[in-house]
Amino acid sequence: MSPFDLLLQQIINGLSLGSMYALLALGFTIVYGIMELINFSHFNVFMIGSFVAMGVLSLFGLQGQSILMHGAPLVVALIVALVVTMVACGLLGVLIERVALRPLRGVQGPMAMITTIGVSYVLSNATMLALGANTKNFPNPIPPMTFHIGTAQITAFQIVIWVLSALLMGGLYMFVQRSKLGKAMRATAQDPDAALMMGVEVNRVIMTAFFLGSALAGAAGFIFGLYYNFTNFGIGFTAGLRAFTAAVLGGIGNIPGAMLGGILIGLIEAMAGQYVGAKWADVIIFSLLVLVLIARPAGLLGRLAPTKS
Amino acid sequence: MDTMDTTTVTPDAKPGHENTNALHTVEAPPARWHWLSGPFERPGVRRATIVLLAVFALAFPFITGDQANIDAAGNATAYACLALGLNIVVGFCGLLDLGYAAFFAIGAYSFGILTSWQITPEWSGFWSPFAALGLVQKVVQNGHALVHFTVSFWIMLPLSGVIAAFFGVLFGAPTLRLRGDYLAIVTLGFGEIVPIVARNWSSLTNGAAGLNGIASPTIFSYRFGINATPYYYVGIGLVAFLIFASTRLRDSRIGRAWMAIRDDEIAASAMGINLTRFKLLAFGIGAGFAGMSGTFYVAKLQTATPDMFGFPVSVMILVMVVLGGLGSVWGVVLGAVLLQLLQSWFLGDLTQWVNAFGTLIHSGYLSSIDLTQASELLFGIILVIMMLYRREGLIPANRRQRALSFEQQHATVQMQKRASDITLSQIGGEGYRHEPGAVPMLEINDVTVRFGGLVALNKVNITVPAGGVVAVIGPNGSGKSTLFNTITGLTRAAEGSILFNGQEIIGLPPHEILRLGIARTFQNIRLFGTLTVAANIMVGQHARLKAGPISAILRSPKNLPEEKAARAWIVEIAQIFGNRLAPRLTQTVVGLSYANRRRVEISRALASKPRLLLLDEPTAGMNTSESLELAEQIKGLHALGLTILIIEHKLDVVTRIADKVIVLDHGDKLTEGLPDEVRRNEAVLEAYLGRGAAAHA
Amino acid sequence: MITRRSAATLLAGTALGAAFGLPGIAEAADKEIIIGINLPITGADAAGAKRMMNGALLGIQQANDANEIPGYKLKGLVLNDATATAGQYDPAQAATNARKFVSNPKVLAAIGPEMSGAAKAMAPILSEGDLTIITPSATNPDLTNPQFAAQYMPGGKPVFFRTVTTDAFQGPNMANFYAETLGVKDVYILDDSGAYGVGLADSFEAQCKAKGVKVLGRDRLDPTASDYTAVMTKIKSLSASSLYYGGVAGAGVKVVKESYAVVPNIKKGAGDGMYSPDVTTGAGFPAAEGWYVTNASPHMTEDPKVAAWISAYQSAFNQSPDDYAITSYDGVLVILAALKKVIAEGKAPTRDNVRAAVASSTVDTLQGTVSFDANGDIKQRVVSVFQIVHNPAYPLDDTIHQFKYIGVAPQS
Repeated sequence: MSPFDLLLQQIINGLSLGSMYALLALGFTIVYGIMELINFSHFNVFMIGSFVAMGVLSLFGLQGQSILMHGAPLVVALIVALVVTMVACGLLGVLIERVALRPLRGVQGPMAMITTIGVSYVLSNATMLALGANTKNFPNPIPPMTFHIGTAQITAFQIVIWVLSALLMGGLYMFVQRSKLGKAMRATAQDPDAALMMGVEVNRVIMTAFFLGSALAGAAGFIFGLYYNFTNFGIGFTAGLRAFTAAVLGGIGNIPGAMLGGILIGLIEAMAGQYVGAKWADVIIFSLLVLVLIARPAGLLGRLAPTKS
Repeated sequence: MDTMDTTTVTPDAKPGHENTNALHTVEAPPARWHWLSGPFERPGVRRATIVLLAVFALAFPFITGDQANIDAAGNATAYACLALGLNIVVGFCGLLDLGYAAFFAIGAYSFGILTSWQITPEWSGFWSPFAALGLVQKVVQNGHALVHFTVSFWIMLPLSGVIAAFFGVLFGAPTLRLRGDYLAIVTLGFGEIVPIVARNWSSLTNGAAGLNGIASPTIFSYRFGINATPYYYVGIGLVAFLIFASTRLRDSRIGRAWMAIRDDEIAASAMGINLTRFKLLAFGIGAGFAGMSGTFYVAKLQTATPDMFGFPVSVMILVMVVLGGLGSVWGVVLGAVLLQLLQSWFLGDLTQWVNAFGTLIHSGYLSSIDLTQASELLFGIILVIMMLYRREGLIPANRRQRALSFEQQHATVQMQKRASDITLSQIGGEGYRHEPGAVPMLEINDVTVRFGGLVALNKVNITVPAGGVVAVIGPNGSGKSTLFNTITGLTRAAEGSILFNGQEIIGLPPHEILRLGIARTFQNIRLFGTLTVAANIMVGQHARLKAGPISAILRSPKNLPEEKAARAWIVEIAQIFGNRLAPRLTQTVVGLSYANRRRVEISRALASKPRLLLLDEPTAGMNTSESLELAEQIKGLHALGLTILIIEHKLDVVTRIADKVIVLDHGDKLTEGLPDEVRRNEAVLEAYLGRGAAAHA
Repeated sequence: MITRRSAATLLAGTALGAAFGLPGIAEAADKEIIIGINLPITGADAAGAKRMMNGALLGIQQANDANEIPGYKLKGLVLNDATATAGQYDPAQAATNARKFVSNPKVLAAIGPEMSGAAKAMAPILSEGDLTIITPSATNPDLTNPQFAAQYMPGGKPVFFRTVTTDAFQGPNMANFYAETLGVKDVYILDDSGAYGVGLADSFEAQCKAKGVKVLGRDRLDPTASDYTAVMTKIKSLSASSLYYGGVAGAGVKVVKESYAVVPNIKKGAGDGMYSPDVTTGAGFPAAEGWYVTNASPHMTEDPKVAAWISAYQSAFNQSPDDYAITSYDGVLVILAALKKVIAEGKAPTRDNVRAAVASSTVDTLQGTVSFDANGDIKQRVVSVFQIVHNPAYPLDDTIHQFKYIGVAPQS
């Protein structure tokens, strides 16, 4: 491969990985923006999403590596699996909020964050006990199709990932910018007290945020499974940590920031694997984060909001 | 409220928005726990409990006699040390650290490398003096003379603390400007980087395979070996020392500064606390505790692998701190011991107990159930339940407030009627003499402040003569609070100069400006919410006290009288306000009335022995008689020679106390003059009431 | 009769008894011999650890069913050395567990640990307690290296035995196989950051250099990360003709998947950590097709005894065993043989007698004849090479039929 093709190939790799990080980072960011809560259970909602998706696909008879469906039925099966996964994860997020976090609303300090750590332990260990600790083979129903640019190649599914991620992110962005509930969310994020006084139903806003964030995590879990063709109870941790870093890098609470941060971290990881060594990827990511935050203490796109000075 | 605040970054931003670094809950434990915690509020009971605990801790190895239990307890002491260290960073100073295990690792590897066979440089004459000190040995392997490091555990224990503290400061430095959650992710990053470096730098650390041959400590030629008991006693000793150090630090100038930063950074810096220094001090001391703990842990384990210091460890230490009670020294120790024993004892042995129980009651299900694999699940459930039902921690940092007695609450207000009742000793004893014709106390020349495109102050000139009382008035949004922020260094002026006794103060950080003698109050009251009235006022004295961390821990002969005098003096300061504050000195400020909070804030400013006092709407929220009472007190302070710059809306107060009135409008100085002149000034009326009103007036 | 109150009292008593090691309360009437099992059965390495645990428990159960040690009832005491604090194996917990075994007089021998890091913390304690332990999977050579005898063998006699060869053999022999049998000229080497994987890859790398195989690069994967595509792309860009992976199936499944996507046609190989049904089920076919995997024992899997054992394992635990389930089971067989020998010789079943019997034993196990050298390492050092070849007639997790025996790797 020529150096240019190689770079291009790594950019393609990084974009695919980054799209997943971005979807996960969005969930962090929406919840953080409204509640200023670092939600560690988000990691494992993503993990559960991949299992839900696997379960739904198996209902359609899609298991293992064999390609059993083509054309429209396959597309329908995939869409149904995506929607069911997103709804299930969204409801799981709402349930977590209702049971474990609402009683802690308004309590200052890291108590709510610690609770999410507890929830995270529960989710991953319950999954391990129920479904086993070994790695599962995620169905791979999509026929392989590759396009070449020079010697670099893109699979059809990578393009699907980008498009799907872009659609979901764009949809979220439009929802938050345009819809009435979205406006209520933004108002709550800026000033919860004022929003409450203006008649915003804060409970509903927070539940919406959890639903949307968790649904996106579910979508990320679905995409993860299809892209890597495996899942296990431990996939949440590292991916979640990277996504969290992405959200902060872009400016936590900021939707375009989360997307930018996710893509950037995906690209950095790919470049590190190629040019430095995968073993230093985390060191590079976090060093870069420190440098960015020294220059811009609120992240790339974040602004130090006046209310939070 | 200033309309400007919504568009600009000012420290006087919206009231009700707490400092986001305030990680602290101010809740007192609910009354249903009082039967349990109540007795411990009595000093005698507390002391007896501590003695009992100490006796139990010392006797524990003899009670159990089982090495496994002693070993588990030994590990628990290591985690108690870690929790105490993290408590300084998160609990006292409010800096959320998600990568604390990095310092644990640094302490562990420092000891491990310097007492094992991991690095063996060629022997040369350079090493002879070290060999004489017993720090290294010359060994001959395959004909090569090599250096074998044999630094004693007892040297490495404090030394690793110092090494880790150095890294604490190093890692802390880039995070100083960051808000709470950004800080968390950066510390998390360092927490990830350190084990990765340990894994990949295998010539230094033996990488993933783990260190070999770490020497076991010896004392008086007794080698600890693998006997868990001596390690346990070292651990207990270390915990006792760190509890002692934490308690002493907490109750000193240092601890008050940390808690002030935790509760409100801006107010802390305005009260003379050097944020950089004290945050780094917290990082450093916290890391030092972890370093010592790491050395102890690895000496006991005699190996170290990078896997022992990952993110889950940092999280667990944080969980221990929060579960025990954020900021509570005994609480975090209890949290660490409980969680550690829960994992290594209880959850591990639970299956055996349940099985034995099942056999006893002839339940086939219970006698064969295996809960070992569910241990982390159970841990998660316990964690969630604890947070939901006992979130202030096992031993909360803030003990229940004893309510004021009926008499105290309903006492007639004994206010000091006359200004002359305020005595010199109440404002620091020295008083102020002002030579007529001396340089003005404060000279503001052509100061311009911009926020983006908005000009908040436009070439403002103000002179405050020494010993004078100058009032600043103006409608909302006229730049009054910006003026105060600019003087005290919270907002940077774009142009102009501010001279304090002839010295330029633009560009100085807020704590330096306080040190020079300018103290302030805030329009929307910025007290340290979790601290008592007394502690709030004590923070005011920060810049005038000298105790450093070491003298605070040792209570050196210099520190002790200083601290005693400081404590005595705050009682005098509080008496400026008669019996309004005096009976409430031990209450946390959240329970105070609005007016009393203002009084605390003024007391706090006075405690810094200012030469120039800036009061931002001190009577806001007070009724007329309270306002006039305060005006009288301000007059009293003035009579003692204190120079005062005051923002005030109530014109009757202004007329009573001010020598000179300055009117600001939309960032411009409209006029200045005697109170009565300004009152009649047409431009002023126009600014306040609008053009039409002025015409009708 | 047991009322609720008395039951509660009993439970509390049992709990206290267990916690403080009080004798009497938890003791049963029969003569009982306990075999300790210390493995990280929660957290990151749970999948492999459970297979080993099941292998050991199966051995104990079979011995009880066949009444192999007449007059004694065997019991497996499982302790978890993974903690929530570490998120995986925790050497400190392993040390505590070692002391739990030592302080329980009924424990005469133990199986475990999985990880060399845990073994390093346990070995000195077990040595002083004279308690034999047989590891199914901790392969770091330091543990039995006489250079560190003072550290890991303070009691003077070896108590730490392995039914698995150290990294010092499997890696080099596979490098010989690459160079001599496959005729590979260059290789890219990966490991999974763990002590086993790093050690294996290191020894493979050293032998490759000795054999003149060009090492194009060496990288370390984060086992908890999911995306290794960038590294695979790099391997592709170097036009490497082969890949070697040192590590266990955890990261290995992802290596198999992603290397197939990027570099499907180069030669790929790994150690016994990958001789696991996780590879054939988790990665599946066609991704796993063609991988060479070594196994540190002579080829036995077509032996009907082994096939019978595997079906017994499958029916007991509803999962297929991997290589370490076999080494774990073999460890129990070694302990059983030692117990039988001690009792047959009319000696008391004590720890010291068991240790001596293990050290001098020659036991016929699933992986062939097991005996130990003076340091406690397994004498038998044959490294067999298998190739994963999909056999659709059998289920994916059937390692016997999905891993095809190729031959013995050349000794170095």
